[in-house]
Amino acid sequence: MHPVEMIYNVLCLAVPFSVAILLAALGENFNQRAGIFNLGCDGIMCVGAFLGFMVPYSIKAGALLPYGNVLGVLAAMTGGALLGLLFALVTVTFRASQGIAGIGLQMLGWGLSGTLFRHFVGGVTGVEGIHVYAIPGLSRLPFLGGVLFSHTPLAYLAFLMVPISWFLLYKTPWGLKVRAVGTHPRAADTMGINVDLTRYQALMLGGAMAGMAGSYLALCQAKMFSDDLVAGRGFIAVALVYFGRWSPLGIMGGALLFSIAQSFQLSMQVWGIKFPYEFAVMLPYVLVIVVLALARKARQLGPTDLGKPYNREMRF
Amino acid sequence: MKTFFTTALTVASLSGMFGGSLQAAPPATAKIRIALIVESTVDDKGWCQSMHDAILAVQKKRGAANVEYSHSEKMKPVDAGSAARQYASKGFDIIICHGAQYNNLVTEISAIFPNTTFAYGTSANIGPKNVFTYTPYSEETGYLNGIIAGMVTKANKIGNVGPVDGGDSARYTRGFMLGVAKANPKAQVRVAFTGSFGDFVKAGELAQTQLKDGADVLTGSAQQAIGALRAVAAAPAGIYWLGQDLAQLGIPEGTRVVAASSYNYAAVVEAMITKRAAGVKGGESLPLQFSNGGFHFEFNPKMDAKVLTPAIKKAVEKAKADLTSGKLVLDWKAVKL
Repeated sequence: MHPVEMIYNVLCLAVPFSVAILLAALGENFNQRAGIFNLGCDGIMCVGAFLGFMVPYSIKAGALLPYGNVLGVLAAMTGGALLGLLFALVTVTFRASQGIAGIGLQMLGWGLSGTLFRHFVGGVTGVEGIHVYAIPGLSRLPFLGGVLFSHTPLAYLAFLMVPISWFLLYKTPWGLKVRAVGTHPRAADTMGINVDLTRYQALMLGGAMAGMAGSYLALCQAKMFSDDLVAGRGFIAVALVYFGRWSPLGIMGGALLFSIAQSFQLSMQVWGIKFPYEFAVMLPYVLVIVVLALARKARQLGPTDLGKPYNREMRF
Repeated sequence: MKTFFTTALTVASLSGMFGGSLQAAPPATAKIRIALIVESTVDDKGWCQSMHDAILAVQKKRGAANVEYSHSEKMKPVDAGSAARQYASKGFDIIICHGAQYNNLVTEISAIFPNTTFAYGTSANIGPKNVFTYTPYSEETGYLNGIIAGMVTKANKIGNVGPVDGGDSARYTRGFMLGVAKANPKAQVRVAFTGSFGDFVKAGELAQTQLKDGADVLTGSAQQAIGALRAVAAAPAGIYWLGQDLAQLGIPEGTRVVAASSYNYAAVVEAMITKRAAGVKGGESLPLQFSNGGFHFEFNPKMDAKVLTPAIKKAVEKAKADLTSGKLVLDWKAVKL
């Protein structure tokens, strides 16, 4: 195979591989920008994957049949937002430890989705899912057409969310509030910003995006559900926020880098390159750890009050 | 006096925990009680379901009144210990911990319950006297699937979506390669692994990578293979799959499955029951082969005859007969990846 064709294949596959972690990481970025560290992202993705699968699976006939996938994505986002609300209640109102609460949410989401799936569905089964929509004209462009314009609608939406997230965070009053409550909540409070309300909103938005990420896995990637479907991708998303230095563009770069590494290691095996596969499958994860270790300065860019509950009555 | 009683109670408790046998007396009736512990679920259309189905088949054959069956799902090795202990304490006769990952657990707990028969696999280890192991000779089913793949492919590129290069997956992969080489020496088998038994998404991604590379026939093993089959089903027409579980024939994606095989663990379960009745509680490794009825193999009856040709069926039937009679022995260890 020609090297250009090899690169083309790797990139074509990397883009859809990156969508779920990109969506979840963009959502997690809103959480962290507001000062809340949500380790439960993985659990929310599990619930999103379940709801995204369950709705089209349940609609066997009738007027809603053509809209099953759309309703599935919306249900996943709603479920994710509700879990974000629950997490906000625990960490913002009750000021519980965010790390512990996040682990709890991860386990809740994983267990709840698996239990509901066993109860309502049973064994492994598939759905029609969302198909690739090649954008007319653009998809025929040489090289770029296959890499950028031959994916599912959710993939286009995910990449569209990058500038939207950037705009929301940096160009709107709400984004300014989010960054303020994550950086200096007391100052924000003094200026009349409702810290708790802003954090609630950020967590619900982050939850909705994590839910959508889960539905992408169920409807576009696997076209099925299993309780191990998410397989730790939520934790990768959390790491990508650090990797991307809390910037939507940086997060997209991180998601693509991780997915290119993933696609490359799979392709490397398929091409028959002599390299122990045990190390090959580790490659994307090792890459994330190495970049995180080398990017120590990133901490200076992060929200300074990340992980700290805010209590306006506390004066120290 | 109080100190004496406290000490005696403590010694009695400790001896019960570490030294003494917690074994209940074997039931006087001929009824056999079987427990199954699995890491996935009993309806995963793969590894765990095949053992579950086998026990149900044995129960049906011997009668529900004669075989009591219970199972525990989602048991990681750290959790499985308490489940196995409870089953043994309740007097279950045979406790099957379905996976090589339970090796240490079974070895440890079998010493505490010497009258209970434990089993785990796949493994060829000869364990303690009350532990059976079982090993599917998966190279045999892999070989048959390989023959089909070699004869079906038009691109001469065949993809394998493996979990890890170990256990019965390693045997299946190598047997598959031998089958392809026998049927079509020009065909290339692209072997790749996800590194996971249960990551359906990654299996799907690997299948997509194989398809992008030009493979037109794919195969895969372990429960993750369903993810790869989903990717094959979503691919354009003319892409086919060879399964390692018969359940794959009965699902909507089954239209792409040319043939599938599965383990018939009923042969192993029957062997354990029979041997236990004869006083042998373990200490042996039980193989699954075509020769002892350890495998089921089926062609997809709905497959287009232009794909699944009579020539393919004939070649497969001959190979299967040779494997069953022992005329054909596969040297899977000689295959290097």
